[in-house]
Amino acid sequence: MTSTLDPRSLIDADEGWIDRRIFSDPGLYELELERIFARCWLFLAHESQIPKTGDFVTAYMGRDHVIVVRKKDGGVAAFINSCSHRGNRICGASQGNARQFVCNYHGWAFGLEGELVGMPQKELYEATPGFDKSRMGLTRVAQIESYNGLIFATFDPEAPSLDDYLGDYRWYLDIVLDNDEGGTEFLDGCIKYDVACNWKLPAENFVGDSYHAQWTHNSAAMAIFGRGISPRKLENTFHATMNGHGWGFGLDMIGNAAASGHRIVTDYWRSRESAIAARLGKLRSKMVASSSSANLFPNFGFLPGHACFRVWQPMGPASMELRSWILVNRNMPAEVKDAYRQAAAFTFSPGGVFEMDDSENWENATRASTGVVTRRQRLYYGLGHNTREDHPDLPGRVYRNFFSDANQMAFYSRWADLMSAERWADVAEPSERDAAE
Amino acid sequence: MSGTSTSSGGRPASEPVDWTVVLEVQQFLFSEARLLDACRYQEWLALLTDDVHYWMPVIENTLGRGAPHRFSPDRLAFFDDNLKSLRRRVDKLTNRTAWTENPPTRQCHVISNVEVEPAERGDELTAHSVFVHNRGMGERDEFTLVGRREDVLRRTEEGLRLAKRLVIIDQHVLLARNLNVFF
Repeated sequence: MTSTLDPRSLIDADEGWIDRRIFSDPGLYELELERIFARCWLFLAHESQIPKTGDFVTAYMGRDHVIVVRKKDGGVAAFINSCSHRGNRICGASQGNARQFVCNYHGWAFGLEGELVGMPQKELYEATPGFDKSRMGLTRVAQIESYNGLIFATFDPEAPSLDDYLGDYRWYLDIVLDNDEGGTEFLDGCIKYDVACNWKLPAENFVGDSYHAQWTHNSAAMAIFGRGISPRKLENTFHATMNGHGWGFGLDMIGNAAASGHRIVTDYWRSRESAIAARLGKLRSKMVASSSSANLFPNFGFLPGHACFRVWQPMGPASMELRSWILVNRNMPAEVKDAYRQAAAFTFSPGGVFEMDDSENWENATRASTGVVTRRQRLYYGLGHNTREDHPDLPGRVYRNFFSDANQMAFYSRWADLMSAERWADVAEPSERDAAE
Repeated sequence: MSGTSTSSGGRPASEPVDWTVVLEVQQFLFSEARLLDACRYQEWLALLTDDVHYWMPVIENTLGRGAPHRFSPDRLAFFDDNLKSLRRRVDKLTNRTAWTENPPTRQCHVISNVEVEPAERGDELTAHSVFVHNRGMGERDEFTLVGRREDVLRRTEEGLRLAKRLVIIDQHVLLARNLNVFF
């Protein structure tokens, strides 16, 4: 199904309007799978999840299911989890350790880099003219790279390098990935659940919607703090965006950590303040666990301080699997890691006192967008477009006041640029857009 | 990873518990379920001991033989609560701005397969049960979750109290948008 809608016509970045068909149109969804998910760098795993040879996790890249494996040479391979013989799924486990992957259908066996290593009655194939075992491996991702522990891959050989794709976002990512010399790890386990929403709604929520917290999450704040989330000193809050990635943040250092409900978590970050300032500078030390949220384009969101990192996995135009992990510093004391493990269930998860309200909002917004007349009314995303400023220390396009739609609109502009381009070479350079505005 | 259930693994309880105790435990579990069905959460909290541990681990989907429900205390969970965090959850759910509860969530716990065993401590009992939990929200949303519970009940001056609950479900990916309820 190909959409007849022109993606650019659905996003009015100048005036701040979004056409709601982007949340419901099946044709646009199919085009997203081609032009966003089969093209962009997507998060696959943290290095710590697969430390030993043969360790694997499975992941989605769009609707393509991949196996992510630690190779014998210490590198990481990722290839499609579908047999090159009859297409059957090969690996049914979500994680584990394997010497090889054997298809249940006819017993074809594949190695740790997806290469075909053998099958029953292999002499019959060897005697078949034109059969070339070396060409029958599982389809590999085009590029795979790590950034400070996070493994990303893309199916597009023409995609820019991961460093270029992230660009100045690396300066921000280092706040959570490199604030301690020991590096980071994921706690064991992953919380996965179904949300009947379009994947872009949580992505735009994380890329910069600080505005919703005081209303959506009032009941959780009342339960944890005994008071609502009071209006902040907005002059010290920001949106920063580049390449469709975004970070909305205050400089309160521990605002998010405090909402974990664990004193030991805030104490940990306070005790680390000077060390982090020495490592990353004073400015970034004030962002390490502050009131903030972020999204790495397209579908990898996280909350500094809450330490939850998640994939908004599209399963259909109105269907998503949310996968959430907890990222901690390797050197963090065990009792702080335990507190984060408990906080994961208590805050941002299906049973989380914060997220149980978010998922309802996303489902109901998605559902409403299927109404023919309902979706004729465009949604307003113009808040804060006039607050851009040149900040001496913050990279990217920076806007003051994180009650803003600036990052959301930048996310959707990037979405429209990618959706309109036949190939990477045709994707508008975000820097050109910056210069033009 | 393996389960940390103390279950006797399908074998009948080694020391049979007196029938009146079994009935007493059943009555406790049924009454508790009725409080939850009615969202009478403050009364439910009163049935918990001060040192209660309420735990619903994520069930893993891994290769190999052995116990089918795989979980571990050092992995992420759906619930991993003590009395303080359970009180906060109840405060959240009963706040007038708890948007998930307006219109209110409708729920029914079907509790069955109750087995009672002596626990390690003399004043405690282990109770196994299964639950079918049905939840209706709004006009037409419905979520059903089936699972098994392993409880430790303590005898106190006020009567039986829940000291520990392990909730084991069959889903790996939770097929619901949230868990604004207790099991």
